[in-house]
Amino acid sequence: MAYDPIHQFHIEKLIPIEIGGVDLSFTNSSLFMALTVAGASAFLLLATRNRRLIPSRGQSAAELTYQFVENTLKDSAGSAGMKFFPFVFTLFMFILVANLWGMFPYFFTVTSHIIVTAALSLTVIIVVLFYGFWKNGLGFLKLFVPSGVPKVLLPFITLIEVLSFISRPISLSIRLFANMLAGHITLKVFAGFVVALGSAGFLGILGAILPLIATVALTALEFLVAALQAYVFAILTCLYLNDAIHPGH
Amino acid sequence: MEAEAAKFLGAGIACIGMGTAGIGLGHIFGNYLAGAIRNPAAADGQFGRLIFGFAVTEALGIFSLLIALILLFG
Amino acid sequence: MRHKDGKSDPQAAEDAALSGRLRDLDKRLGENRAARGRGVDERPEPPRAGAALAMRMAADFVAGILVGAAIGWGVDQLFGTWPWGLAVFLLLGFAAGILSVIRTSGVARAPAGGGDGFAPPAKDDEED
Repeated sequence: MAYDPIHQFHIEKLIPIEIGGVDLSFTNSSLFMALTVAGASAFLLLATRNRRLIPSRGQSAAELTYQFVENTLKDSAGSAGMKFFPFVFTLFMFILVANLWGMFPYFFTVTSHIIVTAALSLTVIIVVLFYGFWKNGLGFLKLFVPSGVPKVLLPFITLIEVLSFISRPISLSIRLFANMLAGHITLKVFAGFVVALGSAGFLGILGAILPLIATVALTALEFLVAALQAYVFAILTCLYLNDAIHPGH
Repeated sequence: MEAEAAKFLGAGIACIGMGTAGIGLGHIFGNYLAGAIRNPAAADGQFGRLIFGFAVTEALGIFSLLIALILLFG
Repeated sequence: MRHKDGKSDPQAAEDAALSGRLRDLDKRLGENRAARGRGVDERPEPPRAGAALAMRMAADFVAGILVGAAIGWGVDQLFGTWPWGLAVFLLLGFAAGILSVIRTSGVARAPAGGGDGFAPPAKDDEED
């Protein structure tokens, strides 16, 4: 198992449940999603338990995340987007905490499965579509018809715009999934080098120093990627919500 | 040689075209970066041409991807 | 409510004083802001971090091509037009990918604003 970089992504059934022929087992993925929700809630609840005007360190951290998401949302979707704040903040915290849980050795990374990220990004797109049509009616379709384009090119451009819109949930889910998957595989492969070289005698141990340094550096990089991907997901959600709120180009 | 095997070989050879498009993109972005570092003030103005070059070059790579896909699934 | 135990009374008083000052500041800021007009809603220009931008571009481009290829393949399956659907939609998807990249980077260079006719003006894309 130490040499198999894919093993960490295996889904194991912890409590097999089957209802009406549908497999609803409680897997390790479910466990870590529950842990993610628990971790995020515990952080926010504990940090804001003793609220003070001059915040404690924990409260500062919670307020920082809040303000960070608030600024992101306000900057990209305007103050009309603030009604989506709970949605965006939940997404951001869920992805961030899931990525950070995944950084523990032997833990499962929820976001390294495309089904999870695809579900998240489809939620975003469905919210955008529903809100866009609910608020703007058919005016939402103006999103696909940019103004100031020559009549001849218009159907062509519209087709491209539609394709670009369809590709949004795909790029949103693939980006997060691919980053987490690739990062964790790389980490595991380099850690495997350390073990393989370390068992090959004195020269091997000397040689193992290099991959060990690489592993440490990659771990730091992975922390950066974990936070960055949560941020990218949040800001893209904001941009798409902005399209739903102000569809005209 | 069987036709099926020739198809796969052809698809693989077509993918070389994507690699060469990659070389071209490297040239474009590398030269843009070199120019931008020499004269940062002019860099933003040339961004459109950068994207234009990127699109034209990448289009050739896309053509070879298309050929590979047609060979694989046709 | 704010404190469980009674021994933080001076702190509570301090908090109350600070709250008063905060309200005062809020009021003055409010006047100031009203004088300046509402400024928050008007510039939805996203904050940008270089690495975040780079991550977006690559995935957007590839996703455009993937979607184009998938739709083209589906069209071919439905209408039996192999390989023309794939060819047309792959190129369209490529165009959509380029469009996404231009959007992302158009936002990135918006402050400099020096378009030269080749680039679509950045304000068309994400600003309104």
